[in-house]
Amino acid sequence: MSRVLLLLRKDLLVLRRSPLLLGILLAYPLAIAVLVGLVASYGSSKPRVAFVDEDNLPSTLVLGGNRFHVDRTINAVSKNVKLVRLSADEAARELRNGRVVAVVTVPPGFIATLRGMVHSPQLELQLSTGTISSRVEQQVQALVYSLNRQLQRAYIASNLRYVTLILQGGDGSFLGAPITVLGIEKAQALLRSMPPTARTRTLLDFLHDARLALAHTGDALRSTAHPIELVRAPGRGRSQLLSASVEAYALGLTITFLALMIAAGSLAAERDENVVGRLGRGLVGLGQLVWSKVALAAAVALALGLAIALSFGLIIQIGGVTGGEPWRRLPLLLLGLALAGGSLGALGALLGALAREARSASLVALLVVMPIVFLGLIPAEVVPPAGWASDALPFAHSVRFFRSSLYDLSPWGEVARQGLWLLGGIFGGLARVGARRLLV
Amino acid sequence: MTPLLAARGAGRRFGKTSALEPVELEIWDGDAVALVGPNGAGKSTLLALLAGALEPSMGRVERRKGVRVGWAPQRPAQYGRLSARENLEFFARLEGEHDARAVAERLLADFELPGEPAPSANLSVGNRQRLNLAISLLGSPDVLLLDEPTAALDPAQRARLWERAAALREAGGAIVFATQNLEEVERVADRVAVLRDGRLVFAGTQDEYDRLQDESLSA
Repeated sequence: MSRVLLLLRKDLLVLRRSPLLLGILLAYPLAIAVLVGLVASYGSSKPRVAFVDEDNLPSTLVLGGNRFHVDRTINAVSKNVKLVRLSADEAARELRNGRVVAVVTVPPGFIATLRGMVHSPQLELQLSTGTISSRVEQQVQALVYSLNRQLQRAYIASNLRYVTLILQGGDGSFLGAPITVLGIEKAQALLRSMPPTARTRTLLDFLHDARLALAHTGDALRSTAHPIELVRAPGRGRSQLLSASVEAYALGLTITFLALMIAAGSLAAERDENVVGRLGRGLVGLGQLVWSKVALAAAVALALGLAIALSFGLIIQIGGVTGGEPWRRLPLLLLGLALAGGSLGALGALLGALAREARSASLVALLVVMPIVFLGLIPAEVVPPAGWASDALPFAHSVRFFRSSLYDLSPWGEVARQGLWLLGGIFGGLARVGARRLLV
Repeated sequence: MTPLLAARGAGRRFGKTSALEPVELEIWDGDAVALVGPNGAGKSTLLALLAGALEPSMGRVERRKGVRVGWAPQRPAQYGRLSARENLEFFARLEGEHDARAVAERLLADFELPGEPAPSANLSVGNRQRLNLAISLLGSPDVLLLDEPTAALDPAQRARLWERAAALREAGGAIVFATQNLEEVERVADRVAVLRDGRLVFAGTQDEYDRLQDESLSA
């Protein structure tokens, strides 16, 4: 049996003798992954937005004969953002100090402009700078979209009443002034009662065409208002908690934590046990010692990562959702788990070599895990330096490998790129150099 | 003919601190060399250099071709979460023993070590030291390097250890041991090396060492 395998077997035996430690090492990152997921979900769905009403909006509003419940519409938006009613001064102060991420202002004269139905009234939006502002802008756009849809229905109904007036004739009002309209139908009847001449026939033909065209005005107005309409299709996707990203991040976070802690702790423990000298005098080379820890991290990542992925798969299966079940891509996922575990284990071995003592190594690994994970969670397009830093560490590459291997229709390109990076072994080389410190 | 083991100007620094100035020492067939000196004199460092557990910062350590070295450091070097048997089997496999289980079984019996699967960290200090010595005998060494080997042993175990050392010397091997026990030096060693403040200040036969001590006393 090779020396690396002998060391690996010994380490697995030692690990098996520490079920409490192993349980904590598994439960802790999973708990962190769930908490991070919940915090991220809460943080993204409920930004605090100030609502400044300078026009004293009524609770209900009648427009074109339609009644609007202004409060209800605003409350509907509150499902996505937390709207707080503030004065203009308070809102400006809170925007400056960051307590609100945006201010939506209803300016004076808003309702009067709306009632006039000639010009579009304006809502004002002020945004904070930073990553969340684009999401808030989307939420406010959704509010305006929702209001516009309701108003469009009222405008169309109002316009159609004018069309009906033109078609059938009668009394109405325009811009507040009463009007009386003859109507196409009555005009046709009037022309038919007159002696037929070339001129009356031309007028009758025109009225016939106009009537046909106006009869389709309702549909035309509706389609003009909604060139594309979003219709919610029946069917279920995964809940946010079981989404593809969360699954890939949960795997990545758990393996990062386990691999770093185990590799760092077990390498430094060799020195604590005073066996480095005994091993180093020709029995086991320092390189072999480092690679045995890399293999240990890979083995643990393989076993526990697989258990996590299968648990996700079972829950998804029970939930009746298809797509992303791990058993479809099991060989690819196993490869990814081993590569990720090995790469992170090499980084852990480097930490263990630098820290030299098992307790210090565990503490250093714990301190290093969180920045590595959080750097990987920040989207590179939002904070490019975080993306560059994350690209130099194995966590982000592991997550990309897992996501692609589990969910991409054609994962080979991405999996090959990330796999090659993880296989690179730069941290293994550094750990081998650093392992000389264990002999001191 | 070359010595079994030799330090050729071998010394060791830890950062800016010199633990051992360059040392010249040869270990020949049948030798029993005692390393004496106060705490921190460099005895353990010299033994670790001879064992190959430490790289010399200067000079070199030479080993006759084919010579195997066993080393028992002062602080036991074994895995606390493994039992005595598992430790012995693990190191026996690394030493290339063909039947690691049988070798482990024999050493457990020879050193009267417990065979149950309890972690070795739970053993008494004396038993941990016995296990440490047993591990150093794996691989049938020709030279045994022992760092204060009898400090935690009972009289019967001490006697057995020196019997084992004598058998090794009779078979053409050698022992080098660090000790603070002058009675052991007198009884076991035929050559003595004295270290002080990281320097080898004396190296000679037992008789020469005795004369040196007498002169020191009379002075």
